Amino acid sequence: MAYSDKVVDHYNHPRNVGTLDKSAAEVGTGLVGAPECGDVMRLQIRVNPETNVIEDAKFKTFGCGSAIASSSLATEWVKGKTIDEAMAITNTDIVKELALPPVKIHCSVLAEDAIRAAIGDWKKKNNVAETATVAAAH
Amino acid sequence: MDYFSFFNLPRRLALDVVALEKQFYVLSRKLHPDRFASKPVAEQEAALAESSLLNDAYRTLKDPIARTQYLLRLEGVELEEQSKAATDAARATGEQKKQIVPPELLEEVFELNMQLQEMRAANKMGEDEPELRRDLMTAKDTFDAKMVETQAELEGLWSVWDSGVDAGDEAAKSRAKDAMVVLLNKRSYLRNLVRDVNEALGV
Repeated sequence: MAYSDKVVDHYNHPRNVGTLDKSAAEVGTGLVGAPECGDVMRLQIRVNPETNVIEDAKFKTFGCGSAIASSSLATEWVKGKTIDEAMAITNTDIVKELALPPVKIHCSVLAEDAIRAAIGDWKKKNNVAETATVAAAH
Repeated sequence: MDYFSFFNLPRRLALDVVALEKQFYVLSRKLHPDRFASKPVAEQEAALAESSLLNDAYRTLKDPIARTQYLLRLEGVELEEQSKAATDAARATGEQKKQIVPPELLEEVFELNMQLQEMRAANKMGEDEPELRRDLMTAKDTFDAKMVETQAELEGLWSVWDSGVDAGDEAAKSRAKDAMVVLLNKRSYLRNLVRDVNEALGV
């Protein structure tokens, strides 16, 4: 199976690899796994408390090329978005952008899970109600 | 035809592997191409197809993990589908997706992967990191032990499943099925870790 050019590009030049301070109040951390293949993905966001804009995002993924590309793309996409906007990113968007084949769809699912887990962690730390965002998103 | 019916077996998980092997050899001989050399092409092809099914069935059933995974698939378990459905549900409700694997295990897996990466980098530079090596050895022992534990747990679930099959107890079968899915998910992480640690340590 051949990877798309975009996957190869993200794989060879992953964006935003790294770590943010997990204990900081403005940082949300999502650690998720895809048991089908044993991949693990950590995605972190730093949120501006005034504007709810994600100002920085970092990831670290142990997994296949598609998993790395999906998480790399996810960090690129969430940067500059508000929490609500980032919550609207779906795995289908990632599949389309990276032209992932059906057998690699679970990688994009993992990246979406990671975004939501990071946002969930940030919300919990900052006492933001989960439902408030849903209402606002509609 | 599914692999269990191919060998005239009920869909039970505890299986006499020695008997299975014997049956495999008997059937292999019966289907050997030499026996069909003078037969019409259609018959030769049929024997070949049967023989390839035999090989797949035997390979799958003799291996305890492959057998369990195969049975779960036969019983309608689609791991990827389940995971995707859970993500869709989380998106729709705005709630957190429930991770199938316990968070502590994910943490452990992540940390160990970080150490492995360091170890590989050191190996590449031709350096030895005795402390790191020691940590990884300890981790290897822990995860080896967990693999053994998982195996024992899985065999326990087999008997729950098998008694469910024998008694026609659908509730027990369904319980065993769910528990086996969780266990196999956990196991796939452990298996990868053990493989990667061994590779990094060169053992």
